[in-house]
Amino acid sequence: METFRADVGSTGPVCIRGGGTRWSLGGDIGAEVRVVHAPSGIDSHDPAEMTVAVWAGTTLTDLAEALAEKRQEVGLDGPPGSTVGGSLAVGWNGIRRLRTGTARDTLLQAECVGADGQIFKAGGPTVKNVSGYELCRLLVGSLGTLALTGRVILRTRPMPERSLWLRGSMTPAEVERSCYRPSSILWDGSHSHVCLEGYGIDVDKEASDLVEHGMIEVDGPPDLPPNRHRWSGELPKGAVLDVAIGVVHCHGSGAAPEVDPAVKVIADRLKANFDPQGRLNPGRDPYMVSE
Amino acid sequence: MVHEMPAGTDDLVADLVAALGIDRVVAGGGARHLYGRDGSIIEGGHSGPICFPDSTDQVADCVRVAVDHGRAFVPRGAGTGLSGGAVPCNDPVVIATTRMNQIHEVDTERRIAWVGPGVVNLDLTRHLAGTGLHFAPDPSSQQACTIGGNTANNSGGPHCLAYGVTSAHVAAIEVVLSDASIVVLGEEVGDAVGYDLRGAFVGGEGTLGIATRIAVRLTPDPPVVKTLLLDFQSIVDAAETVTGIIAAGIVPAALEIMDQKAIHAVEKFVNAGYPLDAAAVLIVELDGLPGGVAREVEIVEQVGADNRVGTVRVAADDAERELIWKGRKNAFGAIAHIKPGYYLHDTVVPRTRLAEVVAKVNAAVERHDLIVINVFHAGDGNLHPLLVFDPREPGTLERVHAAGEEIVRISIEAGGVLSGEHGIGLEKRGYMPLLFSPDDLAAQRALRDAFDPHGIANPLKVLPTSASCGDVMGLPEVPEGVWV
Amino acid sequence: MSAFTTTAWLGLDDDSLTACVACGLCLSHCPTFRLTGDERMSPRGRIALMRAVQTGGVACDDEWYNSMETCIQCRGCEAACPAGVPFGELISGTRAAISEARPLPLHLRLGLWGLTRPRLLLLGSRFLAMLQRIRVLPRVPFLPRQLPLSGSRLPRRSEGDVVLFTGCVMDVWQPEVHDACETVIAATGSTVVRSGPGTGCCGALHEHAGLHDSAREMAEHVIASLPGEQEILVDSAGCGAALKAYGHLLGTAEAVAFSDRVLDIHEWLAEHDDSLPQVPVADRPGVIVQDPCHLRHVQGAHGAVRQVLGHCSEVVELNDDGLCCGAGGSYSLLQPEMAGAARDRKVALIREVSALSGANIVVSANPGCSMHLATAGVEVRHPVQVVAEMLTSADGVNGGATDGR
Repeated sequence: METFRADVGSTGPVCIRGGGTRWSLGGDIGAEVRVVHAPSGIDSHDPAEMTVAVWAGTTLTDLAEALAEKRQEVGLDGPPGSTVGGSLAVGWNGIRRLRTGTARDTLLQAECVGADGQIFKAGGPTVKNVSGYELCRLLVGSLGTLALTGRVILRTRPMPERSLWLRGSMTPAEVERSCYRPSSILWDGSHSHVCLEGYGIDVDKEASDLVEHGMIEVDGPPDLPPNRHRWSGELPKGAVLDVAIGVVHCHGSGAAPEVDPAVKVIADRLKANFDPQGRLNPGRDPYMVSE
Repeated sequence: MVHEMPAGTDDLVADLVAALGIDRVVAGGGARHLYGRDGSIIEGGHSGPICFPDSTDQVADCVRVAVDHGRAFVPRGAGTGLSGGAVPCNDPVVIATTRMNQIHEVDTERRIAWVGPGVVNLDLTRHLAGTGLHFAPDPSSQQACTIGGNTANNSGGPHCLAYGVTSAHVAAIEVVLSDASIVVLGEEVGDAVGYDLRGAFVGGEGTLGIATRIAVRLTPDPPVVKTLLLDFQSIVDAAETVTGIIAAGIVPAALEIMDQKAIHAVEKFVNAGYPLDAAAVLIVELDGLPGGVAREVEIVEQVGADNRVGTVRVAADDAERELIWKGRKNAFGAIAHIKPGYYLHDTVVPRTRLAEVVAKVNAAVERHDLIVINVFHAGDGNLHPLLVFDPREPGTLERVHAAGEEIVRISIEAGGVLSGEHGIGLEKRGYMPLLFSPDDLAAQRALRDAFDPHGIANPLKVLPTSASCGDVMGLPEVPEGVWV
Repeated sequence: MSAFTTTAWLGLDDDSLTACVACGLCLSHCPTFRLTGDERMSPRGRIALMRAVQTGGVACDDEWYNSMETCIQCRGCEAACPAGVPFGELISGTRAAISEARPLPLHLRLGLWGLTRPRLLLLGSRFLAMLQRIRVLPRVPFLPRQLPLSGSRLPRRSEGDVVLFTGCVMDVWQPEVHDACETVIAATGSTVVRSGPGTGCCGALHEHAGLHDSAREMAEHVIASLPGEQEILVDSAGCGAALKAYGHLLGTAEAVAFSDRVLDIHEWLAEHDDSLPQVPVADRPGVIVQDPCHLRHVQGAHGAVRQVLGHCSEVVELNDDGLCCGAGGSYSLLQPEMAGAARDRKVALIREVSALSGANIVVSANPGCSMHLATAGVEVRHPVQVVAEMLTSADGVNGGATDGR
């Protein structure tokens, strides 16, 4: 952490870059802003604790591979090349969020460098913790505007024994009624796509019930368009709705949703309290994101 | 015993009465005496007038009047909290949400319910009977505690191992902030854009504002539930079994351990059928679809056998399930028959170090000449050592606090944290520097100040300060110079 | 009202007072806290206030008296208390201690005195009944709409397998409940003898109101008038609880032995239900059970009620942990506002459950509860009345029941 802290320093604008897979999200960072990278590597994975300690610069792929050896996974999501830190900063949930939990539930502890160049720790290493304020929740989805994260402890979950996708013309509500806790329900405007996960015997039973209702087993989820915006009641052509989280995967970029000015007051005070000079990721605004 | 209120209180009361009506404000000595404490062992708080608003606007009125008079305010639900979070310091306006107990709206299709903060946790689940849905957080006080209180404390319970604590079940919250403004945090579906202010608010212990309406997520009832009771000749074997079950890729709905003293206390009053010769029992609850549950029962039996389990009792029906849980749920009550007072502690340690920490905790407490009994959420390493004592014996409370501090130190040394579900409140704010550096605490202060820049929402809670809370009894002092 | 302000030493048991750790698990089980959300109206609040007076030297003021006097003494808190705090003893001791400083209103004292005079009660009630018949008596909410003109018959046999305790008010105002009990007991093949007016009132209301001396006298009278070994069956939950507590109230071996003979009628029937008819499931009416506090929280006999009703009806639960309806003996007269609010809450729940389940029979095993609920227009029967009706309507089982009719 000390090297990372020295990189960040205590003066001048600085931004942090992970895989750069969603670099344009939330506004542009000027070309002259100094770029730092979080360290990478997995510190420790303890399957019996259901936690993993990992550096923020580690790619999600590397992390997933390491966890898969012990048949575990984490509830983080991002395009190929995304890093743990980048995925947390964006805070988007994967389509299997109903099983894996949200990104916000996944971050247990973060070691960060604040705008003053000092290291601080948010949260705690255990899966259950109500010691002090929930700083970790604020960091997830903050686009690095409050602090720069170096090392984290994440909650892991067991991987399912069986995982399969079905597609058909049942409505999402019908699917939800006929399955106990599916991992994902997507809707493309004419078809539902459902992911069933768990023990083979249960998944097969639920799948056969769905097949009776005209669903068919498919290789995986539908292709998801690259952009996302909040569900507003309309599904553009070619878009896919993630029913559980109210997110539309689409091609065109949507406008940022309107935000209650009273919410912005708190948000502005947060930013001012954490980063009074506005040196962390200048130009980024988590409220300028369409999801 | 009831102390005089500071000057200006009469005007404050008059303005509160003008805003809320005469039947929603009380300021008598008896009331202030009662509202000086909550469910914790912390005594001697000083309450100002107590308000019973029944709408969001009235809560905002209470806050506005308090601010006008330069008084702080303290939100209060049922007052069952165990860390002194609702204990008022320095005569604040106490805002009780008990009359905001309406279930406003239940949407079974979208699995969301909007409720008042004063709705009792168990009342919501009862209200949902027949819909196939329930509210998952189930703290031990669920028959009495309110959902507003659960939100403030990010409450847990036995079943949060699989289902997550309150934060995972609160979608959106309408909040009255300390400037009397009203704001909605979060979204009914999915995450709100921007900073997760909802996530920050949950667990804020009433220091970030007052929740006035809460949108909670409803969880489908599991199709199959199996409850197992395993007994062991050593608590180490029980703890190893817990580790083994998790390592096998199972996340049970609940994993609870009770030690021998707890077993004996419970059996005497409940007759749950716990074996008296066992050193520990482990309750395992598995739920989900039938195939998986059957598989997991086999795995648990195998892991138990690998760890020298005595017998494995699988509850045959609901009646037997209830009996097994009855012992667990009545444990604290049964223990109270041993001595009239008890202090329920709450720390979390890595679950792989449970057995070692329990042994150290027992030795430390016994050194202070107190009885300790362990009943805890083993699945997430959440220890609940229960110190049993008679508060009338001179010097007992001092010994209780000294033992409590040792428990905290032992837990932190083992890589644990201060609290798993009771929160920090007044009880543990002095211990915060044991877990957090001054920089860590400065970051938490930055969060708090963003919601409440003038520090009038439930002051002196959570974060350590040099200011004191009147003559509140028996609180650990902040180590000198660590945090001011 | 400063004339009543005094420092009272309450004489409460210190261990019992200390046993409350203020955890608050009682709160949701307290009808007055449920209505007000105010700690002063809660069990743990009342205990803290008792403690403040007994050990903290605080003077009693109107606020304090109000906390104590608004308690319905339903003892729902006692059943919910994890630490086993004997709240019933604490509040009853407090009421006794303050009964001198805060005397009961004259009409209530007269009424309670009247209960100790069964013949006077019978005469008075007949007089009221006649006034009702000739329509000169205005509607009094808690009185049955049609008072019976005759009371319970005197016992015809001196010997029976069991004794039915007939009490005071109930014997006069609801003798049909005793008749139903006789019918059902007879159907089990046992013989029953009524305790009759000579036994008198059980004293529960007096004890409730803090008049401990009267309560003790009445207990001694009841015990003396019912010698023997037979089990004593009670069809009024309040009376049953009082009779079972004589051992504690008087503290004599004789009283303990007497209390051991006492059973709620349902407890006895649950042990003798083999001979009760099994009504086919399809023919079973839905019955909403309202548990009297003294049946559920004090006697713990609510399971027996369900077992007995389960033979002939579909039991429909209110699912409110037996929260008090607000009747509380003389409480509805002394605290009409709170009693009315508790009743309205219960009635709203009954209506809701009735609408959901389709059940329209409501039962309660205590005359106070049924009269209180009747004031809000809910017709309430005794569980045993339902069983008796099913008996007489079922084929071939009413032979024994007609004996002596």
